[in-house]
Amino acid sequence: MIQLTGVSKSYGLGKVVQAVSGMNLQIGPAERVAVMGPSGSGKSTLLNLICGLDGPTAGSVKVDGMELSALSDDARTRLRREKIGMIFQTFNLLPTLTALENVAFPLRLQGLAKKDAEPRAASMLVRVGLKDRSSHRPDELSGGERQRVAIARALIFRPLLLLGDEPTGNLDSVSGEEILRLLDGLQHEYASTLLMVTHNSQAAGYCNRIITLHDGRIVKDERFDRAPATGR
Amino acid sequence: MMIPALWQISSRQWRAHRLRVLMTTLGIALGVAVFFAVRTANTALLDSLSLTVERLAGKSTLEVTSGETGFPEEVIDTVRATPGVELAEPVIEVIVHSAFADEGNLLILGVDTTGDQQLRQYEFDRSQTEIADPLTYLAQPNSLLLSRAFAERHGLRIGDRLPIFTAHGRKDFIVQGLFQPVGVGAVFGGNVAVMDVYSAQVVFDRGRSFDRIDLMNSRSVPVDELQRRLCARLPAGLETVRPQMRGQALENAVTAMRLGMLITSFIALLVGVYIIFNSFTIAVNQRWKEIGILRSLGVERRNVYAMFLGEALLMGVIGSISGIAGGFYLAAAASKVMGSIAASVYGVISTAVAPRLHPVTVLTSFALGVAASLIGAWFPARAASCLDPILALHNIESRQPESSLGWKRIAPGSALVLVASLLVHFSPSRVGMTLQLSYAAVILLGLTLLLPMLVQGSARLIHPVMDWAGGAEGGLAVDAMVRSPRRSSATVGALMVGLMFVFSTGAYIQSYKHMIGRWTHRMLNSDLVVATSTLLRSTSYHFSEDMGNRISALPEVKSVENVRFTFIPFQGDSAAVIAIEMDGFLARASDAIEGGSSRHVRELLPRGEGVLVSNNFSARWRCRVGGRVRLNAPTGVLDLPILGIVEDYRSDKGSIFMDRALYKKFWKDDAVDFVDVNLKPGEDATLVKRKIERLTSGSEHALVYTNAELRIWIGSLVDQFFLLNYMQLVVAVVVAVVGIVNTLIVSVMERSREFAIVRAVGGYCSQIRKMVLLEAVAISIVGVMVGALAAVFNIQFMSRTVSTVVAGYEVPFYFPWLLVLAALPAVAAVSLLAAWLPALRAMRMSVIEAIGYE
Repeated sequence: MIQLTGVSKSYGLGKVVQAVSGMNLQIGPAERVAVMGPSGSGKSTLLNLICGLDGPTAGSVKVDGMELSALSDDARTRLRREKIGMIFQTFNLLPTLTALENVAFPLRLQGLAKKDAEPRAASMLVRVGLKDRSSHRPDELSGGERQRVAIARALIFRPLLLLGDEPTGNLDSVSGEEILRLLDGLQHEYASTLLMVTHNSQAAGYCNRIITLHDGRIVKDERFDRAPATGR
Repeated sequence: MMIPALWQISSRQWRAHRLRVLMTTLGIALGVAVFFAVRTANTALLDSLSLTVERLAGKSTLEVTSGETGFPEEVIDTVRATPGVELAEPVIEVIVHSAFADEGNLLILGVDTTGDQQLRQYEFDRSQTEIADPLTYLAQPNSLLLSRAFAERHGLRIGDRLPIFTAHGRKDFIVQGLFQPVGVGAVFGGNVAVMDVYSAQVVFDRGRSFDRIDLMNSRSVPVDELQRRLCARLPAGLETVRPQMRGQALENAVTAMRLGMLITSFIALLVGVYIIFNSFTIAVNQRWKEIGILRSLGVERRNVYAMFLGEALLMGVIGSISGIAGGFYLAAAASKVMGSIAASVYGVISTAVAPRLHPVTVLTSFALGVAASLIGAWFPARAASCLDPILALHNIESRQPESSLGWKRIAPGSALVLVASLLVHFSPSRVGMTLQLSYAAVILLGLTLLLPMLVQGSARLIHPVMDWAGGAEGGLAVDAMVRSPRRSSATVGALMVGLMFVFSTGAYIQSYKHMIGRWTHRMLNSDLVVATSTLLRSTSYHFSEDMGNRISALPEVKSVENVRFTFIPFQGDSAAVIAIEMDGFLARASDAIEGGSSRHVRELLPRGEGVLVSNNFSARWRCRVGGRVRLNAPTGVLDLPILGIVEDYRSDKGSIFMDRALYKKFWKDDAVDFVDVNLKPGEDATLVKRKIERLTSGSEHALVYTNAELRIWIGSLVDQFFLLNYMQLVVAVVVAVVGIVNTLIVSVMERSREFAIVRAVGGYCSQIRKMVLLEAVAISIVGVMVGALAAVFNIQFMSRTVSTVVAGYEVPFYFPWLLVLAALPAVAAVSLLAAWLPALRAMRMSVIEAIGYE
């Protein structure tokens, strides 16, 4: 599903910061991978490289067999729209849309009419336990509820790849646990590949592979055999 | 496929920012309304002129004229003897002042009533089948037929007396018949009368001349053929034209006014472009994170671009439709203003025509409104589509500093300003008005590209002052501008456009007034002027030379100069002729002659062996001292050398100065439009003025001005001419204020987290308020600086290009230092007022909410 070969990414002109350095990584279909490491170790950069929001300085990034650097900006955007669901620490919901409209939005981007997209979004909201909150705007929802909406939005088009950037980073432990259970169950159901950047070992415990980064390099790559939706 | 989903985002944004959307749409609506109103009023004026010509011409297919000067009556015999002429009738057309205090002018047509009724429509009242007493009508030169509209306004009946000022003073006319307000009777708002042409010659001192001959061709001879035959038979100074050409001549007379109005309407549209630009720049800043989210969700750049342009398109459509609706009502007012200026400044008569919806004007206004909206949104939409999504998704702290000094902006911006400035300087006036107007737009576009750099540079320049005057908050306020020059650019841009118009218009008016002041000092420097009308000329009412003689006989008077100020056909257009007694003129105004040998001028000019031409005549017709002018007079062709160039602004067509004796000889016209009176040393001009007023009271319609009064009157005429520019200034100031309010509100919203952090680390509410208010002051100072810079280019454009296109002469460049200095506290005060609400909002912000603000 994901293949990184000799990927490096640096920033700046004078004082160069090496965010990712000569990274090789392969992630297979339906894997659940946690990426951990201290701040500045390159976790978010790795995520940005994989979803095509950023390009590598050197090396190759392939997603679903496609070499991202060979794709145009529009093609990378289309890849995100059709194959990659993203969940952010700060939720990044569209503030002017209701929960239902936020979830339906990716389908509408794919060309579905509102009347077709919104029933699917409504059933997705039921799946994440927000049946009664569908008409609320993000500022009327709690942090946990916002993240549920974000998960529903990420999964609405059954993405091959689900990327999470500290999905529980802004939540209390109870809400965080709920979100992780939900994510775990849905990921298993949809058979999406999950790649989640986290500082939280509780969150990492839901994955069957933990990659640890330091100074832009993989320093540990551990695999576990865990049943879905069970946690540690 | 993408658009419907994005419309949802757009519509919610519009709902959330109703005020901004409303102000933006209003901006476009205002521009379109002004453009539509001016175009519609322009068309209504032209319709009105053409209707007037049509009604006055009746069934005539050709006219024989000689400008405003008239021609000997024997010409009628030549015309009637020309094979192919079915009917030829002489006409004298006079606009007179009636002695009714509250009544406007009255158009009197001198015609041969019997023959003329075959040409023109006169519908007499049902109560009368014909003229009440035909014999009396013809026998008494003071008889006239009056329109019922005019008669009813003054309670006049058949047999009543109507007092009118004529060349021989005030005279009572007897109403011998009334006709209904149709055909000729509907011209000039019904202020029309008809009298016998030979009586008109006598009472209006036309000698044995006619103003015009209206004729019909016989069926066997086509109009063009007859026109050729008449041209071959008649002297060179006489023109044979179709009546429609007279409409064209009237249109030409009001060209300057129409151009001025058109330029105003384009400026209003340009202002609309800037409002849209300003609003969309704000929107992109406001929706920074939303754009990042959309991009991360798979919305392509082109669709982000399309989303913003789509919004602009919709605003343009709504604004244009509203503008057209509003403009239609505005057109009625604009039409009245233009009709009144046409009558008072240009002496052009018209028939009231209500503005109509012209499909072409509607479509043009709509298209221009939508185009203006799209042009205004183009750059902000592009900026939105180019946003780096990673950067956009981050919080404010992690945003990179803006690269305001990128060469991608500086190079094209500088190039556009430079190229357009060179074009303004070197481009000839004949390349066409549209092209010339686009130079100003290109300069503005270049300056817009350079704005962030200018904002950053100016902010750095005022940093020490703000630091010193505003303390730490002052420094922080300016830092915000240096850090985010693009955000401040939106406000500064609005201020730049508004102040640019204020400064450049102010500079232009001041420079123009200074120029007119110099001209009046050099040219109109006689002690008193006795004139037939406020415009120093009249197409119909003139003094006889006896007026000059009577004034000259006063013991206080040293000398008088009789002046004829009229228009003659010249090279397919027209030119003013100022026929003056040259000895007297040269004695008092030789300083005004700028080119040529003064010895030659003094020798040849009084002998009628050469002419002087005005500076705008020289520029318009590309002729210099030593060149020749060829004039077609009714009695023959005059080919004379140009002896000198003289500064004169009486006519936008350009003026030719010649000795009065020469004019009288070739034009057979001894009428006088005004008399220059020079007093003996020590005589009091005010006392002599009263004496002349007593001398002419009751007999002549004479306006007597002292030199000081004349200058004041000319100053007020200039102010009247610049009325449109004052309206532009109001629009410009409104734009600037809307811009300031808009961007300051957004600026505070955008920086809520920044303010919250300041509060969290111990900043007082009052410090936040001070920061917001000081930023507003800093923006206003930078706005004045940038506005003054933009004004330099616009002053150059107005004084060279606009002035040459509209008036035919350049106005000297003048920079309005005092106006700029005066604007500084005024703009700062407006900015402070505009920032007051945003400052309160910033003070009341919840720190916890703002820090957690997503």
